[in-house]
Amino acid sequence: MEDSAEIASVYELLQLMSSLNDTRRAILLALAHIYPRSVSGVQLSRLIGYSGKSRSLYRGVISHLKENELIQIDQLTPKLYAIRVNNEHPLLSVLVDLCRAQGESARKIYLKALEEE
Amino acid sequence: MKMEDTRLKQARALYKDRLRIALAAFIIVFAITFYLFYSPEIISLGIEPPEDPVSSGWTQGFAVVASVNTIGFFSAIALMALIFRFWSWAFLPGPASTFTLAILRGILGSQTTIRHTLGKRFRVTLENGLQFDVNCRIKAKDTGEWFAYRLVSTQLQCDSLRNIALRHGFGVKDNRLVANVSNDELHHRTFLLTKAMMLAGPSI
Repeated sequence: MEDSAEIASVYELLQLMSSLNDTRRAILLALAHIYPRSVSGVQLSRLIGYSGKSRSLYRGVISHLKENELIQIDQLTPKLYAIRVNNEHPLLSVLVDLCRAQGESARKIYLKALEEE
Repeated sequence: MKMEDTRLKQARALYKDRLRIALAAFIIVFAITFYLFYSPEIISLGIEPPEDPVSSGWTQGFAVVASVNTIGFFSAIALMALIFRFWSWAFLPGPASTFTLAILRGILGSQTTIRHTLGKRFRVTLENGLQFDVNCRIKAKDTGEWFAYRLVSTQLQCDSLRNIALRHGFGVKDNRLVANVSNDELHHRTFLLTKAMMLAGPSI
């Protein structure tokens, strides 16, 4: 019983991730791997290899992800935001668990990219 | 550079072309209007020009500017601007509408009713009577993104609405499922919205 509920969640997670475009998917995957760490907007755009301006990333993508409660944003200072994946989301918590259990080496790559300032 | 949907590319090109054609037509119409209003006799308004003894050309020029013809000319220009505004609101987005309709038809099938009001709004009625709105923005000003969409469902009465919404990637505002969607997401997220609305049940 426990198993089938879990598989249902994974199925829904797969559907959800497929419905998002490249940029949003990359953001969620990266943030889920490094959870509970949060990143700034600039770090995030580098992490996912975003080529546009970070302002357009914020207005066009991040704010929409927040509206759908996929990510959480804490405003540290007027210009500095801490962005992290919303672990209270019913499906993204599954993703975070998956990344924790299986994504050790991927997390290393992400964290390394973050350290290179 | 990523691969782009051919339909999207066409719609975008068509959109730009239509704007160019409209502008060219406007220039021609402007010239004709100018000719029509100033080639007949100038009807003076009867306002005396301020005294200027330097030349008599000044008085004549003033008579042309302050004339019934000028009033008519400017009214014609204002009317043209009004018509252009209306056209660009109602008919210019034609290519975007065709693109959007093609995608919605593809995912929802031909049985579903899609009402297209003037402009870029679509109201989709599902088989169970539930409705949602698809609103298209040609170009988002702040991000420069082409064809961005806003999906908004009708108000839904369901105890687990928030849970259903989140599980399909939507937010809840005022008992409605909402999301801003880019053009390459439109297909799959409309699909998920339909699924979520079927789970959430009848509208109020």
